[in-house]
Amino acid sequence: MSKLHFLSLLGAVTIIAVLASSTSAQFYTTAVPTPEDWAELSELPDLNGVWERGGGGGRGRGRGGGTPLSPTPEYTSIRDTLAERGAEDSETATCPPPGMPGIMTQPYPMEFLLTPGKVTIIIEAYTQVRHIYTDGRTLPENPDTLFFGNSIGHWEGDTLVVESIGFSELVQIARNLPHGDNMRIDERFNLTGPDTMTIETTITDPDALTAPYTTTATLARHRDWTIAEYICEENNRNFMDAGGKAGIILDNPGGLPR
Amino acid sequence: MKLNTPSLAMAAVMLCLLLVGTTLSAHHSFSAFNMDSEETITGKVRQVDWTNPHIWIWLDVANEDGEEETWGMEGMSPNYLARRGWTKDTLQTGDEITATIRPMKDGKKGGMFVRTTLGDGTTLTMGGGSN
Repeated sequence: MSKLHFLSLLGAVTIIAVLASSTSAQFYTTAVPTPEDWAELSELPDLNGVWERGGGGGRGRGRGGGTPLSPTPEYTSIRDTLAERGAEDSETATCPPPGMPGIMTQPYPMEFLLTPGKVTIIIEAYTQVRHIYTDGRTLPENPDTLFFGNSIGHWEGDTLVVESIGFSELVQIARNLPHGDNMRIDERFNLTGPDTMTIETTITDPDALTAPYTTTATLARHRDWTIAEYICEENNRNFMDAGGKAGIILDNPGGLPR
Repeated sequence: MKLNTPSLAMAAVMLCLLLVGTTLSAHHSFSAFNMDSEETITGKVRQVDWTNPHIWIWLDVANEDGEEETWGMEGMSPNYLARRGWTKDTLQTGDEITATIRPMKDGKKGGMFVRTTLGDGTTLTMGGGSN
């Protein structure tokens, strides 16, 4: 084999290897939206706009109903052990965002955007975004573990149904209660009035919970609000020390907190 | 004493917020503050940091020896407050105020801002619900 032929063969093998690795990475190509796809959106319940939990004005957290949280004996023990440490705060004091489900319960608004094949939720708190694919793709079989999981959605009548799997070990079901590898979160979004919506959230976790944990939140749409910037690191003076004690940096008044 | 005069509408908003009472925080616990205690401090506003995740109101306060010390008061976020009547100019450098705070547990010169009453009788609070 001449040197030239050998290099050609090497190049071909390289290209095949690259192609093989890209097809195994579960990429999904969304169809180019047609005018009909855009028109179909107008037939769906209009979830677009800026929403906040509670009935407005920030009073109450808009949470009610549902089933009790029932950890398995193993996870009850884990929760008790974590609680005994007596941490006065959580990691979010130094600005990492809470993942799911906590990010959906913040006292800040969220903007919903419906576009062909996707629902996007822009969350003001910590400047976060949830990507929910409604283009027909399926959930990954071997998902990466993420703060918000991997989400797909579909419509059942007037209800947007969202399924999420694959969550980072850095997020918790509730304070001091971690989740198992197979936690799943199902959400049902329903308009209940011109500017009111409910979100029913069900957490299923065969390792951590003996029964599904369901809560229902009520949200109000604020037509006169826009989403504001929220960079937690801008001027954060809060922290939790290694011993779990909450503290505040008061140094350098009027300057950066250091 | 130089004070801003909030609009009547803003005064109404503030009154509503006062009635709501408690404050709320998004990203950290209240453990650094003594939530069972309130104290007042009087001084001149040195600076207002209209920043996330919390606004900070810095107040120059004379101590018992007449020396000036700077106290820090943590408030809610500009996002939260702007939707409830505040602006970055609601309190300005040089304003003389008496503020109620929930003091730091560690005794440092600071605390959670609770309220202040302006010269025209308007009460400013953080507003919000429970956490």
